[in-house]
Amino acid sequence: MMTETYTCGDHGALVSYLYDECTPAERRAIAAHLVICGACAEELIALGGTREQLASWTPPDAQLGFQIGPEHSKSNILRPARWWRQPMPAWAQAAAAVVIFTTGMMMGAVRGVMQPGDRPSQEPAVARSNTMIPANTSTAAPITRADLVALEQRLRSEMSQPHGSNQSVAASPADARILERVRVMIDESEQRQRRELALRSAELVRDFDAQRNVDLARIERTLGQIDGTTGVEVAQQRQMLNYLMRVSQRGQ
Amino acid sequence: MTLTDDELVARSIGGDAESFNELILRWERPIYALAYRVIGREEDARDVCQETFLRAFRALPGFKGEAKFSSWLYRIALNLCRDWIRRQRRAPVVQMPEGVEPTELAAERGPVESIEELVGRRQLSAVVEEAMALLPEEQRTAIILKEYHGMTFQEIADMQGCPLSTVKTRLYQGLTVLRRHLEKNGVALNRVEGVASSKVAGQITPRLVRR
Repeated sequence: MMTETYTCGDHGALVSYLYDECTPAERRAIAAHLVICGACAEELIALGGTREQLASWTPPDAQLGFQIGPEHSKSNILRPARWWRQPMPAWAQAAAAVVIFTTGMMMGAVRGVMQPGDRPSQEPAVARSNTMIPANTSTAAPITRADLVALEQRLRSEMSQPHGSNQSVAASPADARILERVRVMIDESEQRQRRELALRSAELVRDFDAQRNVDLARIERTLGQIDGTTGVEVAQQRQMLNYLMRVSQRGQ
Repeated sequence: MTLTDDELVARSIGGDAESFNELILRWERPIYALAYRVIGREEDARDVCQETFLRAFRALPGFKGEAKFSSWLYRIALNLCRDWIRRQRRAPVVQMPEGVEPTELAAERGPVESIEELVGRRQLSAVVEEAMALLPEEQRTAIILKEYHGMTFQEIADMQGCPLSTVKTRLYQGLTVLRRHLEKNGVALNRVEGVASSKVAGQITPRLVRR
């Protein structure tokens, strides 16, 4: 319990005053003491300054977003995505696509070799259904090389069409996801570029200011030199004039 | 309508996972900040933050509401931090920036803040972080709870399981060490020789002095 008087060295009371967690009577007592005690006042200022500097320490931004799963299961806390669940980088997606495509080509080629009796369908390739047949369907015809050739032709023809016509092609959910991801990547890239631009602009402004300051300093120095030089010349001329006047006065 | 913590807790205990998610959303930043400041590692702080909510969720049926939900969370987080420090057997790590990343600077720069000011702020933040790492765990935690989470002396005493006077002593000693470290690193704390005033605490305008 603090009394109405405060004595130097009562750190607890000083801290209470610093954090404004004391009674009005305690506050009055400490305030009265601070008026007459420079050491305590100085310490309080320094501690207050220290507190203010602490505000500059901010933790780095972190992606949190923890959630409990919808099933309300106690083991269903959604942890931050592990590395294998995180979005794949573009190069990895491209590599995976190449591997899958190559594997598909090889499998098709192997089947084509193993089933030489198969003939390409007489039906035009573009007329085939766009829906994918499940691989484990027993009625599915084996994919032959001719099918792949037809697929390639179809893809080429679609790719050669103008962009506007692509709008009419119904995108599958997988395509939509890829498009969405591409869109996100483009957005991120734009944001990066914007940040880069902001940085460059700031640097440019800073460099400009620095250069301007240097130029101003140089101009000022040069002017000072000129002033000095001019001053010396004026003084010399004045001395010369005085000398001439003295000489002329002696002559008279 | 915004529900209070108590209401969300009651709903969570009743089986509403979304209410608990709302509590997480409300408290994950402060808990992460607390964990980061105590242990000093970003990744580990995230883990502590996540583990705090996991434990809170599991222990929710046993939460009687005697303390505030936030105090209860802070206590769980602090226990986890203490476990982490004990496990690591070392002081908190100071993640000193190797250099200033210009892109980050441009991104986080305020509309009226120059690059120089921003760099100064980052330097000051690093100095403060370094100074905080010097403190013993109890002093550091007391200062963190007081300065960054606005707790009262009594709340800190409850959290740390110590008398009120001990909390004040820890704060005083911790602030004194910080003050010396900041001054040693050229941070002006506006020491005014011989000035005595009852309003001194309100007149402080510290600044970073570059040497």
